[in-house]
Amino acid sequence: MTAVVALRPVRRWIRKAQASHRDRGDALATVYTAVFSIAVLSVMAQDTLRAVFSPLVPHLSGVGAVAAAACSAGLIHLALRRLGPVTVTRPAAYFLLTAPVSRQRLLAPSLVTAALGAALAGGAAAFGILGNAAATGSIVLVATGALAGVLLALLASAAQSRPRLASLVDTAARIALAVGLAGLVAEAIGWTPPTLGGEAPALVLVTVTGALAVVAFILGVRDLARTPNDAILESAKTTGTLADSVYGIEPSFFAEMLERRYWASRRLRSARLPHRLPPLTGQDLLLARRRPARLLWTAASTALPLLLISAPRWVLVIALLTGTVIAARGTTATIKTDAGNPVLLRMLGLTSRQVVQQRLWLPAVLGAAWATMALGLLQVAGALPPGQWWALGPAIGAIGGAAAIRAARAGFVRNDLIPIDTPMGSVPTGPVVYAFAGLDLLLLTLPTVIRLFQDLPATWSVIAVQTGLAALGVRAYISWTTDPERVGLSK
Amino acid sequence: MWVVEHPAVEVNGLHVRYGSTPVLVDVGLTVPAGAGVCVTGENGIGKSTLLRCVSSLQQADEGTVRVFGAVPGDSPEFWRAVATTVEPPTWYPGLTAREHAELVCRAHGQDPDSSGIDEALERFGLAGHADAIPPSLSSGQKQRLTLALVLLRPSSLLILDEPEQRLDPEGRALVAGMLADYLATGGSLLLASHDDKFAVASGAEMVSMEQLTGPAS
Repeated sequence: MTAVVALRPVRRWIRKAQASHRDRGDALATVYTAVFSIAVLSVMAQDTLRAVFSPLVPHLSGVGAVAAAACSAGLIHLALRRLGPVTVTRPAAYFLLTAPVSRQRLLAPSLVTAALGAALAGGAAAFGILGNAAATGSIVLVATGALAGVLLALLASAAQSRPRLASLVDTAARIALAVGLAGLVAEAIGWTPPTLGGEAPALVLVTVTGALAVVAFILGVRDLARTPNDAILESAKTTGTLADSVYGIEPSFFAEMLERRYWASRRLRSARLPHRLPPLTGQDLLLARRRPARLLWTAASTALPLLLISAPRWVLVIALLTGTVIAARGTTATIKTDAGNPVLLRMLGLTSRQVVQQRLWLPAVLGAAWATMALGLLQVAGALPPGQWWALGPAIGAIGGAAAIRAARAGFVRNDLIPIDTPMGSVPTGPVVYAFAGLDLLLLTLPTVIRLFQDLPATWSVIAVQTGLAALGVRAYISWTTDPERVGLSK
Repeated sequence: MWVVEHPAVEVNGLHVRYGSTPVLVDVGLTVPAGAGVCVTGENGIGKSTLLRCVSSLQQADEGTVRVFGAVPGDSPEFWRAVATTVEPPTWYPGLTAREHAELVCRAHGQDPDSSGIDEALERFGLAGHADAIPPSLSSGQKQRLTLALVLLRPSSLLILDEPEQRLDPEGRALVAGMLADYLATGGSLLLASHDDKFAVASGAEMVSMEQLTGPAS
């Protein structure tokens, strides 16, 4: 048997070898660009950040603050679980995971990183909640938030090696997120929550959370060696693909990996494609029905714009359009597959017009349902000027559906386009074009957007104009970008 | 199916080079309608490139290619007449192997109940994997599923690149028999293969790349 090899010298050697191949100037340039970009963005978004973290009129009640904390905790936990949180780099997964080195020492750095990241996120969330809470809270609670973040990272790490615990805490996180959002929405539309009594002193809270975090951290590091190989390999792939996505500015790498992983974990039973529908529409319907949780979250998210009732109108408009497009994107993975490689379309022998016409139905219906519901809720909550705003939903949804299809047809980011030189450095054209693919079609929602901006009522004539524009726009999109005589997706 | 007044495939004076390396030099080939031709030759000699040119998936530097008398391209008529495995397929997310087969049948206007999907999966040894998503299948199973799909859908010409690859001996005999049946029902066949026994069993006439190259071809 080989004795356990000390890991530190191996890591030092790897770092040294890597550094010898790297140009120090390049590394410094990257650091400079990152720091400069963060500084510029912080200054640009100063007002927005202040509005988010510390608005002029704080509005959250005690229950609202707890609901916001539940949402933040749920989100942080789910993000940590998606990333691992215990992970190694892909080369380390290949070379070091299989080497006779201490498993605990190999994995500890990632746990520390995850705990630090979660502490930052927890601290920022606590800071934001404190800034929005009507009752003043002690700033010491920010430290409590950070320590709670550390506890969440350790809980996620424990869940990584225990499937039953994982399913329990993941469900709890989803429930916390749903209940928290429901509480926030209820408060935003005028529900007066009961006053919370008997607040614990901040110092006691921070001390108890801190002590718990320290104990949990010691136990968590000891427990690291238990993390199974398959869980580490999976998280190594996840973080590696995420890094590829960020470095290559190609979000589809990560999205596709998640999609593949989701279907690989499902046990499916072959179903018949609905025979009354065109084949591709039937396929999309089957795909949507196979993701009930996504449909449920999409339906629940129609209430989220209610949280923005008191936000500037442009924020509400962006949220409405974004929500519609995200709902419409529920089934566009199929068109993304065809955009990447049209081999199946050749097998099916369908023209680009047939494909887009058949594939547009589901996104348009999903987008229309989302927009109708969201506008209806806003109307019922009295957040909009008079008029039947819900009736604009089908038109907005159809445009959102076409936008989602257009974005999916864009396929991958084109990194061969010439970058644009600006005083702040060169801007890569491919990712910018990719990011805006499909969004141009949202210009068709202008009649609704203008009414919302100007706080004018939604008259039936506006609804008729918007519906007509949507019908014409979608028809023109299909006619101009597809060919009835060509197999594939392009014209 | 297309009207078969013309040969299924006619290739004349085809030249393809990758950079400065010539791959196909003055290649000529005719596959009469209703007949089968199997192109043989060592790796790298250009069999796949020839098949890609015939399938319109690659542009030749010089020469002409006609499929049933027409220039191959992206027309729906072409892709309804031609079924090929020259490109490895990508698979739709969240769709099982059987559902892929049903989708192909329905897109070609076939009744999925009478198009023999279950029998085809059974014959290709995939009946036990009908509910699997294709990416979870082994490479041999994926190959058999691809062949099942191209044989399920109606076509006038099959273009297959080494269909015997990743199949066990039993699978090879089975696929060869099905290709012979395809020819017997009036279909045309162009394939590239390394397996002479397979090619003979499929009923295709064997021709080497050397025979197709140069003015004599």
